[in-house]
Order: sequence, then C-alpha cells, then structure tokens
Amino acid sequence: MKIRFYIALILAKLSIPALKITGHNATDFPGSLALKICPDFLKYVAKPARIIAVTGTNGKTSTANLVIDMLKALGVETLNNSRGSNINSGISSALLNGVTILNKEKYDTAVLEMDERSAARLFPYVKPDYMLVTNLSRDSIMRNAHPEFIRWLLEKYVPKTTKLVLNADDLTSCYMLPENERVYFGIEKLPTDTVKCHNLIDDLQICPKCDHKLKYEYRRYSNIGRAHCVNCDFGSPEYDYAAANVDYENMKFTYRGPGFETELPIIDERLVNLYNEMGLITLILQLGYTIDDIKQHIKTAEVTKTRFNHETVGSMKVYNVLGKGLNAYAESRVYETIVEQPGDKELIMLINDLSLAADWSENVSWIYDTDFETLNVDSVKKIVVFGDRGLDYQLRMLFAGIPQERIEHVSKPEDAIYAVDVLPDMNYYVVYGADPGSFALGNKQAKELVKRLKAMTGGEEVKA
Amino acid sequence: MKIEILYPEIANLFGDLANIKYMMASVPNCKIIGTDLNTKPAFLTSDDIDLVYMGTMTENAQLIAMDHLEPYKDEIWKAIETGQRFLMTGNAFEIFCKDITDLDDMPINRFPERVNVETKTTRCLGLFDINVKRKVMHRLNSLYLGKYGDLDVVGFKSIFTYAEPNAVLPPLFETVKGPGLDNSKMGEGIHYRNFMATYLTGPLMVLNPKFMIRFLLECGETQINPPHMGAAMAAYEQRLMEFRNDKINYTL
Repeated sequence: MKIRFYIALILAKLSIPALKITGHNATDFPGSLALKICPDFLKYVAKPARIIAVTGTNGKTSTANLVIDMLKALGVETLNNSRGSNINSGISSALLNGVTILNKEKYDTAVLEMDERSAARLFPYVKPDYMLVTNLSRDSIMRNAHPEFIRWLLEKYVPKTTKLVLNADDLTSCYMLPENERVYFGIEKLPTDTVKCHNLIDDLQICPKCDHKLKYEYRRYSNIGRAHCVNCDFGSPEYDYAAANVDYENMKFTYRGPGFETELPIIDERLVNLYNEMGLITLILQLGYTIDDIKQHIKTAEVTKTRFNHETVGSMKVYNVLGKGLNAYAESRVYETIVEQPGDKELIMLINDLSLAADWSENVSWIYDTDFETLNVDSVKKIVVFGDRGLDYQLRMLFAGIPQERIEHVSKPEDAIYAVDVLPDMNYYVVYGADPGSFALGNKQAKELVKRLKAMTGGEEVKA
Repeated sequence: MKIEILYPEIANLFGDLANIKYMMASVPNCKIIGTDLNTKPAFLTSDDIDLVYMGTMTENAQLIAMDHLEPYKDEIWKAIETGQRFLMTGNAFEIFCKDITDLDDMPINRFPERVNVETKTTRCLGLFDINVKRKVMHRLNSLYLGKYGDLDVVGFKSIFTYAEPNAVLPPLFETVKGPGLDNSKMGEGIHYRNFMATYLTGPLMVLNPKFMIRFLLECGETQINPPHMGAAMAAYEQRLMEFRNDKINYTL
C-alpha cells in the first residue's frame, strides 16, 4: 500500500505543474488523481500537527476564509483548501500541497473547510484537533436529506478527541457529540428578535428528550435562537462567549468571554456573518491567542466578496448575489438580506440548477420550503425568471402572493437582463446558485447587465 | 372540507405541506386541523374529518410518531376499514407498515423498546404487512412518472427506503417510468380502501393540478377552483414533457 501511496503522491504532484502549463484550473484534479491511484491517500498523507476544521451547513466557506486570514495576520501560514473543494478530493489536493515529495509536512497548521455530508470519507483519516460547527440546517433534499441525518453522520465519524466550537443558538448542532470537549458561542437577544417563527422551515418545534413543545425565548430565523422545553430540563446551553449590545448603526458589539468583555467591530452587516465572526473569534481564542491579539486584526477581516457584492452605474446598482439553489434555508436568508437593503429592487433569478439540466429534471420540492413570501413587498418591483424551472418559480411566487404583474418569465437566461426596467435609483439583484452552471451564468449576466445599463446611461463611469 | 394534519411539528420536510396549502386554497371553506403529538387524532374522536394527511419526517420522528400512535392502532385500523380517507406522502406511510430493517447503519438514537439493535429492525404499527428496507448510505433520488387512472402523475423521490409488501396491495400509481414502491417496476404507493400512500415527496398536488382536482372530487368536493391554474398547468405540462423524454435519467 505504501508503494501505491508514493506513486499516487508523485503522479498527483506532477499533475500540478502539468495543469498550470496547459492552462487548466482544476484545483481538485491532483487530489482526485491521488485518490484514484490510492483510495487510502488521505490515510497515508502526512498532516500538519494542528488541524482545524470548519464545517456546518451554511457559512463554512466564509468562516474558514476568515480563520485563514486571521491566522495569517497573526503570523501563521496555514495549509488550507480555500482554492479547492471541501470534499475528499479537495482535502486531498490541499494535503498534497502541504507535503514534500517524500511526504514530509510543510505546515504546522491546517485550516480545512470540511463538507459535513462527506464525514464518512474525511474524518476517519483527517482528525481535527478543533472543529467549528457553524450550524446544521436543511440543505439539499437530495444530497443531505435533513439536518438530523447530517448530525448523525458527524457524530458517527468525528473523533471524540476533537474540541468543538459550537453555536449555542442552533439547537440542532449544539448538543452534538456530547462526550467531546466544547465551548459555546451565541448572540444575546436582539431588538429584532421574535418568539414566533416567521419562516416556512421551523425545525425543532419539540423537545428532543421528551417530545413536548419547545418554548422559544427569542429567535432570529427558523430555529436559530434560544429555547427551552415546557416539560423537562432541556434547553439551549449557556454561552461561554457571547455577542452583546449589537449595534448595527455603529457596526460594533460587545464580545463577552469568561472574565472579560471588549468592544469589537461588526465586520459585515448581515446577521449570518455576525455568527461567522463569533465563530471565528471564539475559535481563535481556543488556539491560545488573546482577545487583544484578535482585536488588532479583526478590523481588517473581510467576508468573501463574491457572495454579495455590487457595482454602481450612475444612480443604479447591480448586485451580484450568490444564493444557494436547492438549499431552502440559505436561499431564504438571501431573500431576507435583499429585502432589508434600501430602495426599490428588481431581481433576476438565475437559480435553475443547470449542472444536471441536460439529463435530469430538478427536484423543485425545495422551493416550497423557501420563503418566497419575503419577496412579496412593495420595494420588490419585478422578478424575472427563466426557462423550464422558471415556470415552477413563477408558480411558487404566485402562491407567495406576489402579483403576476411583478413576475416576468423569459425563455432564455440571456433575455433576463432585457426584461428588467431601466430606472434611476433602481437596485438590480442577479441571484444565482452555487452549482457551476448557475454560478457562471449569474456572474456573466451580472456583468452583461452592468454593460447594458452603462450603455443606456451614456457610458457613465462604473464605480466598484 | 376538513383536513387533519397529523403531527405537523415533525412531519413537515421537503415542502410536503404545500399539498395541504394548495388543497385548502382550492376548496371554499376548507378547514385545517393540525394535531400535535400530545393530542389524540381528531379523526378518532369525530366523524367529520374528510382527509387525514401526514408528510415526510426524519427517521427519529418516525419513531416518535409511532410511539404516539401506538395506543390508537386498533382504532386507526378500524377507521381505515370503514373508509376514512388518508393521504401519506414520503416516508410517512412506513409508520403503518410491519417493520423497517436497516441494511446500513441505524440512523436513530432513541426508543430501545421499539428498535432491535441486533437485527437492526424497527417495529412499526404493523397495520400493513409490508417490510421496509432502509439504506442510509445510499440515498435514492429519482424522478417518477405514473398513472392515476387516465391521469399522468409526475413526482420526485428522495428517500433512503423501499418497501416490500408481503401481500398484494393495489398501488396508488401505475408506474410508467421510474422506481416503484420496491425500487423496481412495481406500482408506486398503496391504495387500500381510502388509505392512499406514496413515497413521492414534496408538493405532489402542486406538481399535479389535475390529480389534485380528481383527488378532491373523490373526497366529495364539488366546488373546486384551484388558484393559479394556468401557471400550475404550464409547469405541469413542461415537467411531463421532460419526464417523457427518453434522454432524461430517472435516477441520480
């Protein structure tokens, strides 16, 4: 087996310059090749002494990138998979890059974003010392089934020695792996919190111990918040590390830990990213750094720009929004964020799952778990959908109460940018999915829309 | 029309509850009763429930539902035999089967009195002589095209299970394409008296407006006026065309 491993290591390493020379950008290919030659590649490849995993349904890419950047600012170069996938081929590629041809590790620390669904393929070989779980929520019905299943997978495969950094406001994930050492982070009650769920996805309505109803003290969306059982002693855990006095007007909050509190900047206006920021800070503290170390560098921390950036054309803005097609929970958060933005809006929905479209028909069940109702507000003036699945999205929006006159269906995706109304001060949101086909289409059409608006407004300077 | 949803606090996955919302919007004065786990089902205490519905749930939730329905299983069987109408979607109907055997690991962590860890078998209510097989490491994702009488029915499956009836039970849908109840060419679902069940998940009624109208007619409704019928039919016709296309794969 060792011979096979070294053959895999050598050939996979040789493939890296070969890919560069031939202009290919397949970052997962070396890892895939290594696994093909040696299925146990992950077992034998040398690993850094300290492995930090970031997993969870939503926010793991953003958070892993924040962790990588923070450690770099603190002087730690990490081995990471930020340029590849988070499944076994991407992790293999990253680890391959982190060893010499003689399988000697080149890094002391790895930060690996790990796909929670791939637990069975990853954790038997890559055993994290620390694991941050952002949350567990509904995801792709086809791939992930439901969050209880994902939690079960993680509990089955994550080592008992891994120290967990857990989101206390997510009752689905916070009690996982009860034998593991852990710390909890969370966000104290916010003025915008409610008690009643206003989302279609309302998991964790009953106590996992006794089946009686859970009473929510506060919640932000779906089951994110704090709850306790009306019948037994079950309830959300106390925070070890909490965000308090959250002040979005001045973009700051109080970070409270055991025996200390300090004021820190909020790095992004979206609440989901405050959770990511809390996860980041809490994880870095577990690595032995002080809050003052973190405070020095948190100001420059940035959430990945590709997920919600915009360009300005005169008085208009074109937002490039990475949604998560097939993931009702995440898509609902995207719609909330869009609606929270000021001004009138027109949306181009390019969320059709295009990667499988050639020989498959998308399972649209997820759209009936998605809060399209959020988009039924006066500020959303038009929504453009396209193609075969556009008919399904149109129907779903009608069920959400969105008037037919605000929905436009076009046959081809490239027609969508011509279906929006060019109006001063309008905000255009090009929303697309994470699958490669939709991702490429969304980015391209956002650029095309900017071009069109620029041309129509006389070539006015485009400001980033 | 009065529809009772059993255990909506746990049986609410995969957009299944859109079925009820669409039916409710299609029939005037339709009333919905959501029965929670700690309440005796209304169809066992009153005779004016026109339809009992339960949707997809987690594997642990199935056990919870079984435990809460166990005291009433004789009454439930009597209701089935006397013509109470039921619609079960996704894995909800497995609760009424004989047992569930895990061929991979068991994805459950409670109820030792119901689960035999040695044989990896979960005892269900046993109202139908059907053995369910579960493979949690092998999720089946498929399209489905079937017939309900003369109507074409389209749907999706995303499940860990298949079912093997020990007796001949009429299917709910005759299979045209896609996996049936036992993952083969068998019909899909079961249709025993007025107990209708299918593995198809998600908004079955929304995907099949003509089937919904037929279903509501069979429930005795005469004033059926589904909203957005034009948009619903456009989506249905498009999907039907795709599902009839020989180039489409039925399983992923």
